[in-house]
Order: sequence, then structure tokens, then C-alpha cells
Amino acid sequence: MPRFTTVALVAGAALLVRRAVRSRMSTAPLWPMPALDVPVSGYGRGSTVPRKVLVAGRGTPAEGVVELRLEGAGLPAWQPGAHIDLVLPSGLVRQYSLCGDPGDPSAYTVAARLVEDGRGGSREVHEQLHEGVEIEIRGPRNRFPLVDSPAYVFVAGGIGITPVLPMVRAAEAAGADWRLVYCGRSRATMPYLAEVERLGGDRVTVVAEDESGFPELEFLGRLPVGTAVYCCGPDGLMDAVGAAMSEGRTPRLERFTAAATTGGTAFEVELRRSGRTLTVAADQSLLSAVRAELPGLMYSCRQGFCGTCRQRVLEGEIDHRDELLTDDERDDSMLICVSRCAGKRLVLDL
Amino acid sequence: MSNTQPAPVASEHVELKARKVSFDWEETPLHWVPGDPFTTHTINVLHLLLPAGERWFVHVYEQALPYVTDDRLREDVIGFIGQEAIHSQAHDDVLPHLRKLGLDPTPYTAQVDWFFEKLLGDRTLPPGRPRRWWLMERVALIAAIEHYTAFLGDWVLNADALDRVGADPTMLDLLRWHGAEEVEHRAVAFELFTHLDGGYRRRARTWALAFSALVFLWQRGIRFFMENDPTLLDPKASFADFVRKGRQGVLPSTPAMLRSVPRYLSRAYHPSQEGDTAQAVAYLASSPGANGGR
Repeated sequence: MPRFTTVALVAGAALLVRRAVRSRMSTAPLWPMPALDVPVSGYGRGSTVPRKVLVAGRGTPAEGVVELRLEGAGLPAWQPGAHIDLVLPSGLVRQYSLCGDPGDPSAYTVAARLVEDGRGGSREVHEQLHEGVEIEIRGPRNRFPLVDSPAYVFVAGGIGITPVLPMVRAAEAAGADWRLVYCGRSRATMPYLAEVERLGGDRVTVVAEDESGFPELEFLGRLPVGTAVYCCGPDGLMDAVGAAMSEGRTPRLERFTAAATTGGTAFEVELRRSGRTLTVAADQSLLSAVRAELPGLMYSCRQGFCGTCRQRVLEGEIDHRDELLTDDERDDSMLICVSRCAGKRLVLDL
Repeated sequence: MSNTQPAPVASEHVELKARKVSFDWEETPLHWVPGDPFTTHTINVLHLLLPAGERWFVHVYEQALPYVTDDRLREDVIGFIGQEAIHSQAHDDVLPHLRKLGLDPTPYTAQVDWFFEKLLGDRTLPPGRPRRWWLMERVALIAAIEHYTAFLGDWVLNADALDRVGADPTMLDLLRWHGAEEVEHRAVAFELFTHLDGGYRRRARTWALAFSALVFLWQRGIRFFMENDPTLLDPKASFADFVRKGRQGVLPSTPAMLRSVPRYLSRAYHPSQEGDTAQAVAYLASSPGANGGR
């Protein structure tokens, strides 16, 4: 009789063990090793696949301005100030600020003013990008990021409202103290005027050249420390904003020149683990400066697409100029071959 | 004994640089070798192994780079690293397309990621001498794997049978761009291994390990794809199929693969003795994907 109990107990225990092992194996195929992590592979970042979008809507938010709604699947999220490249049917590549809803993964919105004597990009946008046309885009990238600040002043000139519009919306949503000076030739040529006036009320100063001439910018010299000043518009306006600000303070500017990958301003970089600080010259890449100190450093393409020179950033504001990293990765790392510092100093984990 | 020294063929050396590529998968069907799921999935296993595998190459070489004392070799290794990083990205970008077509690779890629990141990772052996030994072992493993990638690269550049059966042009371009770069940089991994260690026993041991791991992972990958392909009613895959397709020329031929074994194990072996750099460079100059697909 005791033998029967023993056999029954052993058999029961064996059954229980088998069940436990099976359920363990179904969650972890490499049992007895721990359950597998969610793989990194298989979720390609799409850096080697052209991103196609469809021109799904076309509007005219102001005289001489066309607004395009570009629809695609799973478009990356973006932050106010970001822009994309449009690869136009002729092969021209032009940058346009995103001015739609950053949370919408199904569409991007851009607006372009027709520049009669321009380089041909805006004419192509106006004449060839009709509804139903499929085009390739690259990006988004952000060289004009909105920093956290309790107070903002935005100065926009004409089509320069496009990067500023999502910033204004974000500042309003964050409950920040903001004001906008919006200049243009005439009210009819200024896109999104009604929207910003509705959003801001008396915080928006509209300066149409045909009504009231040029904007009064002296107030910029009296701003309290801590107010972030953003400006996008014609060169003359951006120069005037820079000149109006008090000594030692500079506005954040968005200039649409051809996407520069080299050069910029000089800055300082601290290599925290090596305990060294060096200066990166204006015409030198961060990679070449760091490599002089640490010759064994990894890099390869030197054009910001292979990703092998990625480094962790501990402090400092990054001017991302690569084509590869995702927004999450950009929070705390950079490709040192092309990206630079947006301020005066960077601290790298090297 | 001059015949025991690896003899590089100088004319086969070329300056290496990573190329920015662009492949549009929109039009690529699930069975991109028409009507031949076995061949399709056998080649598709590349997309399972290479994203993690080539990331691992880059990761290992990052640690080996400080030991390189030869400037020309360092330049080669730097070019190699960039090319491998882009290969990894390009193959990884195929997988979301497969998922869209109903073939989810996640269960297998999870295992491959574990294999390369954990099992073949940095912490497999304790710090100090064992870890240095492990680094050299992995450098030698990469040299052995690169022998096969160069072999496959050379094969795909010459696999006219794939054109004849009407394989998808974008996929063929990806394979041939990749194959051509593998042929172009085929000597780097071996030269790095020779520079850092070069021991024959290590070469033979790591070859055996690499070869068995590749065979194991590959057949497992083929069976995984065949069993999970939503369109297949009879997902059988056998070694006989592989031999048969090799004879037709749509897959590498089994005898040719077996013949490449003693070549790697020969003491006079140097990768520049096989493959054709000029053919690879010519393909790269004309490849739509490698010219940005623009």
C-alpha cells in the first residue's frame, strides 16, 4: 500500500513538473535560459527604403502659397520646428517645414510660397504636385527645436510662419507665456493668419508692410532672461531680430539654405571618461577633433548614414545633421561625424 | 616555406567605402522567385541572420580596432565596418515588408538576436585573459563567416539562373549589391585575423564552429519560413531540395560549397585568391540601389 501512494505521488509530481516545464518553454523557447527579449532586428528603421507619400490634399492658405497634405503609412512623429526634404519630380531636393499636427502618423502638411525668381523648387511644387501625385520624402529632421521655456517670443515673416505655427500651438498647449510678431507684405499673402489670431488674440501682433511698414522690435532688447526667441523669415528680418536683442543673447533661427553637413560654429567638447576637453573648430567635424585624442574611435561613412560613430551625449544641445537616428535615439546620442553642437559645449560619454 | 604563407593578390585590393542605398520593397511579392517558395525562403534566411549578425561584426570590430597597428589595414577595417552596418540596415528593412505580407519573422529574429548579442556577446567569458581570448576567437569566427559571405557574393553575382526564372529585380539588386561589397571587402576579415592572431589551430577550430552554426541556423530558418508561410499547404523542406535547386543554379551548388572547405583550411589560403573585384566594382557602379535608388 505505501508503494502505491509513492508511485501516485511521483507520477503526480512528474505530471506537474511536465506542465510547468511546458508552460515555461512556451514563453521562453530557449528554456532553461530566460525568456527572449523583444528583438531589435525585424523593425528596420527604414533608412534604406525610400519613403513615399501621396499628395492627398492641396489648398491655398494665402495668395501665392500652396499647402500640401502628404499622406503615407506610419510616418515618423516629429517635433515643432522639424522639416522634411521633398524629392521633386525633376530630382531637385527642397526642404519644407512641417506645419500640421505632430501627432498624426498618417499625414504631413507643408506649405510653399511661389518664388518667381527662385531656384525652381517652389515653381515645381506649385505646378506639378497635384492631388494624386506620389513623391519621395526624406526626414523629418529638426534643426530648429523648441526648447522648454516658461516664455517664448516668436517672430515670423511670411512663409516663415510654417515652422512657427506648430511651436505656437505647442506653447499654447503647454500653458507657456508666449507672443508672436507676424510680419508680411500684406494680409492677403500671410498664410494661417486667421488661425494664429484666433489662437493668440492680443498676444499676436500682425505687421503687414502695406498697412504699418516694418515691425517694431525694440522690445526684444528688454526681454527678461529665460525668454526663448525664435525667428524664421527673410534674412533681413532675422538680422533685425539679432540686432534688436541685448548684448550676449541670440535668437534661434531657421535658415533654409542647402542642407549643410560640414562647418558651423566652433564649440567645446568634454570627453568625460577620458577627462579631456577640446575645441572643435568651425571648419572641423566633431569626429576629427575627437579622433585626434582617441585614435581607436569607431567611424566609417563620415556622412551620417552608417551609424557606426554614434556616441552618447551626457550634456549639451545637439545640432543633429544625420539621416539615421530616430527621435528617441536623438535625445541622448548623436552621430559625431556630421552632427554638431547647437550651443557652446557638449559632454560626450567617451 | 613560401607555400605556407597566405599570398594576397595585390590587384584585388580596392579602397572600401560604405554606400548609401535605397530599395523600394512595395512591389516585391512574397515569393520573389516566382513559384519557388523553397528558393525564396532559403535566400530569405539572409534577412533573418544578417541584421543581428552584421551588427555583431561591427560590435566586435569596434573592440578589435584599438589593437590594429597597420594603418592600411585600419582604413580597410573602417571601410568594412561601414559596409557591414549598411548591410545590416538594408536586410533589416526587408523584414517589415515580409511581416506586411503575412510572414512575421519575430520569433526567429528574437532567437538570432539572443544568439549574437548574448551567447556571442561580450560577457560570455569573465574579464581579463579569457575575455581577450574570446575577442580573438570572435575575430577568427568573423573571418570564417566572411569566407562564406564572399563565396555567396561571388555566386549571386554570377547566378544568371535567378534572372532567367524572373526573380524580383529589387531583391536581386539588394543581393548583388551586398554580394559585390562582400567580394570587394572579402580579404579584410581574414587580414585582420592574421594581423591580430593568425594561429592555424584557431582558424580551423573557428571554421568548424562557424560552419556548423551556419548550417544549423540556416536550415532552421528555412524550416521556420516554410512552416509560417501563410500561402503554403505543404511546407516541406529537405536537403535534397537544396541539392536539386543548386543544380538548377538558383541556389549555390552543394559540391561547390563543399569544395570551398579545404580552400579555407589550406595554409596558403588568402581570400584575394578567389572572387573577382573588378566584376564586383562594375556591378556596384551600375546597381540602382547602391546609387541611392534616386
